[in-house]
Amino acid sequence: MQEATFLILTALADGAQHGYGIITDVQQISGGRVRLRAGTLYMALNRLRADELIAVDREEVVDGRLRRYYRLTPAGTRRLADEAARLQAHAAVALRRLNLAGGMAT
Amino acid sequence: MTGQEHLERAYRRLPGWYPREFRREHGQEILAVLMAGAPDGQRRPGLAQSADLIRSGLWLRLRPSVPRSARTVRAAVKLMYAGAVASTVNLILLLAVIADVKVYHAIFGYHLTAAQASQLTTQFITVSVLWDLVPVAVRLWMAHAAGRGRNWARIVSTLLFGAATLNLTGAFSWLPPPGIHLTLVPMAYGPALPVLYWLAGLAVVWLLWRPGSRAFFRPPGYTQAQHQAQTAEPGHQAQMAELARVRARLPRQV
Repeated sequence: MQEATFLILTALADGAQHGYGIITDVQQISGGRVRLRAGTLYMALNRLRADELIAVDREEVVDGRLRRYYRLTPAGTRRLADEAARLQAHAAVALRRLNLAGGMAT
Repeated sequence: MTGQEHLERAYRRLPGWYPREFRREHGQEILAVLMAGAPDGQRRPGLAQSADLIRSGLWLRLRPSVPRSARTVRAAVKLMYAGAVASTVNLILLLAVIADVKVYHAIFGYHLTAAQASQLTTQFITVSVLWDLVPVAVRLWMAHAAGRGRNWARIVSTLLFGAATLNLTGAFSWLPPPGIHLTLVPMAYGPALPVLYWLAGLAVVWLLWRPGSRAFFRPPGYTQAQHQAQTAEPGHQAQMAELARVRARLPRQV
């Protein structure tokens, strides 16, 4: 799973969000490192919808502008949980080995 | 006109790069995101922002939109694109070889004089390039159409595979000019390549007609949105109707 996809799914993990909300949330989650552009975001959202990992939650009109909220589907929740567990397992191994290597070096 | 109106007008033009269906569905929404993210006082779309919209618009026009649930169709479309790439590589190899027509004909055991070779070169290159571009174009077209759930693409692909099978067995060798042209390039490297092409074609046809592909291919007029609505979870159709009502209240479409 690409990092942007992972971050978008993470942004939707605790509730439905609209496009701009996802962009700001992804920026916050990544500590300001990942700034999604509108084109990239909607390409990803379109793919995630086709893969049935996210769905449209609701639509609102705010100040004459359309806001469409997206939410995770059960399949999307499972996929994100699996990916998070996989990344966590890899990170744990990496950290353990780094500590081990550091211990041996000193 | 204020700076913001100016910016909005410029942004309204950019979704033109997207496919019509996508623009209708997301145009307003993307515009809202662009306007929300624009810093105060901005009058023109940023270069990077515009490039990103154009890039994703073009990508959405070109790529197949097969959902993950239609696994067999996804695999078939990928194989068809791989076939188009292989045909292109074939063409490049061909161009490299026919730069020297004498060498090329030597493969077949023909011996040409310099005058004959130069006379043949232009005609030969033109015919060969056109001949090799046809399968590339057809493969791309079929992959694109099948990726959009067009049932006719599945039927045409199957008929073309039938023709390729006859071709492989030499059924067209009577065609002028020397029928060998039909399989000329792959055969130059032995029979392995055309057989590989044929096996890939067989896999495509098999995948396209698997029971799992049936739901994806629908009669004309049946859109992918309808497909998604039908395969979605219960209650989704009521939700879609509600969305349609909300959308009807919008000021105007991009």
